[in-house]
Amino acid sequence: MKDPIVEIDNLQKHYGGSKGFFGRVRKPVKAVDGVSFTIHPGEVVGLVGESGSGKSTVGRTLLRLHEPTAGKIRFDGEDITHATPQRMRALRRDMQIIFQDPYSSLNPRTRVIDIVGEALDLLGPLPKAERSERVVQLLEQVGLTGDHLRRFPHEFSGGQRQRLCIARALAVRPRFVVADEPVAALDVSIQAQIMNLLVDLQREIGIAMLFISHDLGLVEFIADRVMVMYLGRVVEMAPARELYANPRHPYTRALLSTAPTVDPRAARARKRELLQGEPPSPANPPSGCTFRTRCPFAVDACAVERPAYRQVGAGHFHACIRDDVAGGQVVPQVA
Amino acid sequence: MNYVLRRAVSAVATLFAVSTLLFLLLHIVPGDPAEILLSGGGMAPSQESVEALRSQLGLDRPLWQQYVTYMGNILQGDLGNSFQDGAPIAQEIVKRLPRTLELILTAALLAVVIGMPSGLLAALRRGGFWDGLFSSVSSFGLSIPVFVTGTLLILLFSQILRLVPAGGFVSFTEDPVQHLIYLLMPAFSIAVSLTPVVFRMVRTSILEFLEKEWVRTARAKGLGERSVLVRHVVRNSLSPVVTVLGLHLGTLLGGTVLVEYVFNWPGLSGMLVQAVEQRDYPAVQGIVLVICILFVLINLCVDLLYGLLDPRVRYN
Amino acid sequence: MLRHFTLIFAVAFLLLIGGMAVLAPLLPLHDPVQMDVMSRLGKPSLTYLLGNDEYGRDIFSRIIYGAQASLAVSLSAAVLAAIGGVALGLLGGYFQGWIENITMRPLDVILSFPPMLLALLAVTLLGPGTGTLTVILAILFIPAYARVTYGEVLSVRNLEYVEAARALGHRSGRILLRTVLPNVAGPILVQFSLVVASCIVLESGLSFLGLGVVPPDSSWGLMIRGARPYMHMEPLGLLWPCLALVFTVFSINRLCDFLRDMFDPKASVAAFTLPGMLAGQRLSRTAHAMSRKAEPDSLLQIRDLTTEISTPRGPIRAIDGVTLQVRRGEAVALVGESGSGKSMTGLSVMKLLPRRIGRIASGEIWYSRGEGENARAIDLAPVPASHFRAYRGRDMGMVFQEPMACLNPVYTIGYQLVEAITVHNNVSKAKAEEMALAELKRVGIPDPERRLREYPHQLSGGMRQRVAIAIALCGQPNLLIADEPTTALDVTVQAQILELLEDIRRTSNIGLIFITHNLGVVAEIADRVVVMYCGQVVEEGSVEEIFYSPRHPYTRGLLASVPKPEDLNSGEKRLASIPGTVPSPLALPPGCRFAPRCSYSTEACSVAVPELEVVTESQAARCIRWKEI
Repeated sequence: MKDPIVEIDNLQKHYGGSKGFFGRVRKPVKAVDGVSFTIHPGEVVGLVGESGSGKSTVGRTLLRLHEPTAGKIRFDGEDITHATPQRMRALRRDMQIIFQDPYSSLNPRTRVIDIVGEALDLLGPLPKAERSERVVQLLEQVGLTGDHLRRFPHEFSGGQRQRLCIARALAVRPRFVVADEPVAALDVSIQAQIMNLLVDLQREIGIAMLFISHDLGLVEFIADRVMVMYLGRVVEMAPARELYANPRHPYTRALLSTAPTVDPRAARARKRELLQGEPPSPANPPSGCTFRTRCPFAVDACAVERPAYRQVGAGHFHACIRDDVAGGQVVPQVA
Repeated sequence: MNYVLRRAVSAVATLFAVSTLLFLLLHIVPGDPAEILLSGGGMAPSQESVEALRSQLGLDRPLWQQYVTYMGNILQGDLGNSFQDGAPIAQEIVKRLPRTLELILTAALLAVVIGMPSGLLAALRRGGFWDGLFSSVSSFGLSIPVFVTGTLLILLFSQILRLVPAGGFVSFTEDPVQHLIYLLMPAFSIAVSLTPVVFRMVRTSILEFLEKEWVRTARAKGLGERSVLVRHVVRNSLSPVVTVLGLHLGTLLGGTVLVEYVFNWPGLSGMLVQAVEQRDYPAVQGIVLVICILFVLINLCVDLLYGLLDPRVRYN
Repeated sequence: MLRHFTLIFAVAFLLLIGGMAVLAPLLPLHDPVQMDVMSRLGKPSLTYLLGNDEYGRDIFSRIIYGAQASLAVSLSAAVLAAIGGVALGLLGGYFQGWIENITMRPLDVILSFPPMLLALLAVTLLGPGTGTLTVILAILFIPAYARVTYGEVLSVRNLEYVEAARALGHRSGRILLRTVLPNVAGPILVQFSLVVASCIVLESGLSFLGLGVVPPDSSWGLMIRGARPYMHMEPLGLLWPCLALVFTVFSINRLCDFLRDMFDPKASVAAFTLPGMLAGQRLSRTAHAMSRKAEPDSLLQIRDLTTEISTPRGPIRAIDGVTLQVRRGEAVALVGESGSGKSMTGLSVMKLLPRRIGRIASGEIWYSRGEGENARAIDLAPVPASHFRAYRGRDMGMVFQEPMACLNPVYTIGYQLVEAITVHNNVSKAKAEEMALAELKRVGIPDPERRLREYPHQLSGGMRQRVAIAIALCGQPNLLIADEPTTALDVTVQAQILELLEDIRRTSNIGLIFITHNLGVVAEIADRVVVMYCGQVVEEGSVEEIFYSPRHPYTRGLLASVPKPEDLNSGEKRLASIPGTVPSPLALPPGCRFAPRCSYSTEACSVAVPELEVVTESQAARCIRWKEI
């Protein structure tokens, strides 16, 4: 197996948290609380979680758009956790990001030719004709045309804007892309277009991708491996098929059993593992396993310490102290 | 409670910074402070008078000592003596302050009483006749400097129509009716520039709140249009109005200086203008400090009122 | 019209006075300081256009030179302050941390002085004069720019295009100047004109007090000061400088409003022009609703409903001839993408269309009240919105998408529930609170006693949506319209809310219109499904028919767009997608609205809008080729 392109070790990102004016200590919000994983060249890793789980923060912190609080980030074997701003600028060409909101991710006062062109400029100056030719090439690659060169972002629909964002990210020829909910803001019929585009490009260029989404179906569609996050921690990680076929962590199981499906008979027939309540605030997480307050299988031991990350199959890890949850042999204890 | 405490602490900190700045200003300005203060008439002051002033103000002592004395005096309510007549400044201020306050509060009251209903009407009939009329009048009102309003009011009502006296003052205890007549024009002059501010804020925030989802929810409940308006639109728009009033107090207090001058209203400002003309620095310092305290206190009240109006502020 | 006029006036006046001020030395004007004792306080004449002042100087010439002084001081102060303030604001807003503290904190001290006072203080120390004035005004207005820039930068810096520029590896300096600055330039420009106006006012005020421009130089403030004692003899001498001052400030303010409207439509103060009147006949409005005998079992029957919204670019038909039916206890899902008119259908039924710009153009909304034989159906379409509140809440309740926004932040949960209860029931406050408590329990809120006294922001999103549902159910309605109630919620919470709605529907036997774009949710909750596209119903049927044998190409495309396990097994890794985008409601295609995106379309599709054709007893599709497909 090739060396991983991205290696994250015990990544932490805390926000706020300071001594208050009157000596009152404010607890930091642990948006990311000890996450470790690797991504190999050409691999698509899905990151699933609900809002507030810290999935977007993972994406931005590992690109060092936000500074990590602790942990190590290695890119292509190089430790970039404390790389200088100069070094980071050079590295940024190799790692790109596609954002969720195609409306706020394009500068409203820049024309298409410059949105993509300014990214190209980072690779070195090009003669004007060649530059616009390259821009047209990139536009065509994402399904737009050269007619769009002189236009401003507001003249495009949501789907077209997202195509533009993809073209901008690809302009610097990255080897790794973070796609942060790239289709969440789009209509269903447009979502499919963009998903297909991402799959095609990923296959063509062979870039590695971290695909962040709350939609289990999309992640299953695109990802080779899937990680599930809850309250700043990865609770389960497995190859995509394995995870969907054989979820082990109670949270993953609940997610899968409540995820919407377009099959009404199956939807009504399935046994739903409905969770109680809502995720607690990451500023004040429960002790031990952070999921225990909503977990139907929680026992006293869950509150004691943070559950270890254990391997339960080929490439399948989870962070739950109980092994008897899967398969439903265990009757959930009455909360 | 925590919120009140935080606001109060920040107000005290601001006051501390302001008084320090007032102390330092005299020393930051290039040149010898005593000389600067004496060179008002354009003539170079004599060496003796400079020396005399220096020891009178304690300018010959080290800076930190002067500072400690200054702050100590302020805390005891002693603002020094006037250059002009040697009278204690604090006493004079205490006498004049209520008159200035009366003027400001009357003007603010007028602005709210006129600005709120007209803003509401303009927002509800957006694009209609009243909206057009009020909006035009308000943009004109915003454009007239207070002293011009004052002067023109005198020209019209005192010189041409001869309805009211051109200016002056009688204390309320002496002759309440005459007192109010004297108050009328100055207060109205300030209100002319303050009302448009209130009007615009009310209009914008009503328009904004009308679009809110909770207004739709209130209608969906089956609430009558009047209840929806009063409870879910007007009530919410109070917070921004209070804020904007607080923000404009600075301009308002500046405006009072001019208005008191125009109408001969014996408030703080008359004293201030005279002190500036005479370059009576201790007096200017004292008055500015008091007005700043006033400014900070009113802003503190605004903050607290804001907290009262919006529970989100209180709990964060 | 008036608006345009004042703007033209403002620009013309500024050009005129500015031009004359600049060209003053070249114009054939009297010397502004030359005294003509013979014509003291003289009337306007051919020699002295506006008359003479108290020393016999030419007023017209003094006004022009006064403008020169005023504009020079104000413009240079405004420019100096802009350079300083914008730089501080950009740095403080973009870098934050300690840089923010050293750039922004000191400004708070300046701001805690009323501007006039700080100016007076400086005059005391430095003496009056034009130079002093410029410096003082510049310092005074640095915080104004810094604050505006800072605020704008804060809101822009977290936008994703700035983050994208950082992710690409651009330098901070370049990002600040090329990405951030152009996007905050509008408000800064507005601020600039505001500051110029304020400077002119302050300058004239100080000069009026005799503490600004030093005589014999000319200034409007000085002129007013000089003419004041003589106003009983010669009011014109006072009026001219007043007029010059007021018109100048007015013109700048007007220009500023115009700039603000251009750059920041939200803060617009300009009058709002109603979009063109809606074409077509108005429905006859009657306070007494038409009624007829109800069809058994039917709760709501919408027939041929058309709703128009006027937009600045012309009126659009948000919904166009919608027909649908809801029975008691039935869950009907309205499905569609953005712009399909699904939400507008719900709002039309509730008569909650956007104020003044939306109206029901035609159609009928038959709502059945009463039980069994006595049931009567009423046509709600002609009932004016003002009379409609009798139906809202009691007959039909509505829940909206954003649980964050649908509760008023300044009232407690208890207040908002009690309010909804007392509208429909004449009960005491204590009784109403008791009922509110019961409602909260019914929607599954733990610790309801405490929640009653809490404010919306203290509740989580799911809790808020439960409260919103409780409010909608307070009047025991027979119909609940839920507009994307779970879209803003997480999957696990969404499942809870769906279960709650299902539960309520079963126990209370109420009809439910569930508006959503999420087909998964539809599969979960709906009995019948209505698919909408561009304001029209394109297909309707039972949930099984729609999901297992869809007839309309759009429905098929939508279903195929959702990733399913089969997509993976095919090895191809492709989603079937619908090409193109939803057409603008202002430029709808002729004939079938889906034809341009439809892979089955033929020429016939573009001839006329297809009818909703009956497929089975319960299914219908608006496609002329449904049989072949």
